Amino acid sequence: MIFAALILILSTALFFFYFQVTCQRILRRQFDREYFQSIVNANRLEFPSLRKSLEEFGAPIDYPRLRMMLKCDFLALTYLLKNAANLNQRYSREERLLILYFRWQFLSLAVRRLLGVGEKKAILKLTSILQYFANVVGQRVDTVKFGNLTVSDYLLNL
Amino acid sequence: MDNSIAGLVLQCAGIISEAALIVYLARRGLWKRQGAVAFYLGCLLLTELARAGVLYANGLNSPQYFYVYWSTDFLLVISAFLAVCFFFRRACLREERMWRYVRLLLPLTLILVVAISSILFLHNYHKLFFSYFVVEFNQNLYFTCLVLNTLLYLLLQYIESTDDQLGLLVCGLGIQFAGPAATFALVHLTPGEAFARSLSSTVMRLCTLGALFVWAYAVMHVQDKAIRVAGHDVPVLAEVAGHI
Repeated sequence: MIFAALILILSTALFFFYFQVTCQRILRRQFDREYFQSIVNANRLEFPSLRKSLEEFGAPIDYPRLRMMLKCDFLALTYLLKNAANLNQRYSREERLLILYFRWQFLSLAVRRLLGVGEKKAILKLTSILQYFANVVGQRVDTVKFGNLTVSDYLLNL
Repeated sequence: MDNSIAGLVLQCAGIISEAALIVYLARRGLWKRQGAVAFYLGCLLLTELARAGVLYANGLNSPQYFYVYWSTDFLLVISAFLAVCFFFRRACLREERMWRYVRLLLPLTLILVVAISSILFLHNYHKLFFSYFVVEFNQNLYFTCLVLNTLLYLLLQYIESTDDQLGLLVCGLGIQFAGPAATFALVHLTPGEAFARSLSSTVMRLCTLGALFVWAYAVMHVQDKAIRVAGHDVPVLAEVAGHI
């Protein structure tokens, strides 16, 4: 009985550990340049400034506003992932996995806030997922040639 | 072993994904370099097809399905163990001293699992070989593979491996082992068992799909940085099996 309970706890913990490590490894993918900047500017996304304020200035966290910012950026980027320069009009496998990871981290942020531990770490993880999404969208848009249109022109005409 | 529509959909998705990944490996000529992946995928596919065929022909409650289910489960855990051995070999390509210890540890672990399962069987010798020894052995080896896989992950961190593809393959295998191991334990702990058994079947299929997605990503999108030492290629599965 005790042995089975121990296996249950250990295996469940390992499952979430491997899930997290897999997502972190996907997020480590190197892009040949910072594609996310153009997408951030064109869509007025807020996650880079949020990350900067946390990393460099250690600003206090306004939780309701932060939640809203992350959620809005997430919705905008997932929409773009599916529709911007994507011929299949659907998410790839790794994007689906990272969307699940984002939701998991978002839930984890709420729990961490309740417990009052490691909020900053969770927020930084969430922003790194958003940056990955923005990089993927930027790279896709960059590979599609639209004559003299810039990335922001293309996105504004969607 | 449930027969619900969701279970059927998951089973079909699993068979299609396994077949697609095998075809991809074959078309790209990656059989040799990704030997463990191809071998384990082949076993998974054979298992799924054999189970589906016998289930269709004889029904869920037939003795034929019972024997085929547990025999193929035995084949699966042995192939999973061999896949872990292969990944250990790949991780230790540049660490020959480490490999000397690992090649001792791996067969010893297998012998220990057989011994523990045999002792448990001897205490319950009135029970059928199949319904006790094989089930016990499969569950023990499954959990052992999970522990070995975690040790492999720690080893990769310790030797600061740059083989990102191997890292992802290990993570995929971890997902494949951890979910079912947890649900096996839940089945043991739950008195009614019906819900836990149904959950176990769904979780196993979901974990297999998850592992297949991670492996597909690793094989298709992550560069194979396995090191070639002094002209030697990545070892093929038979080579690793020969070592241990």
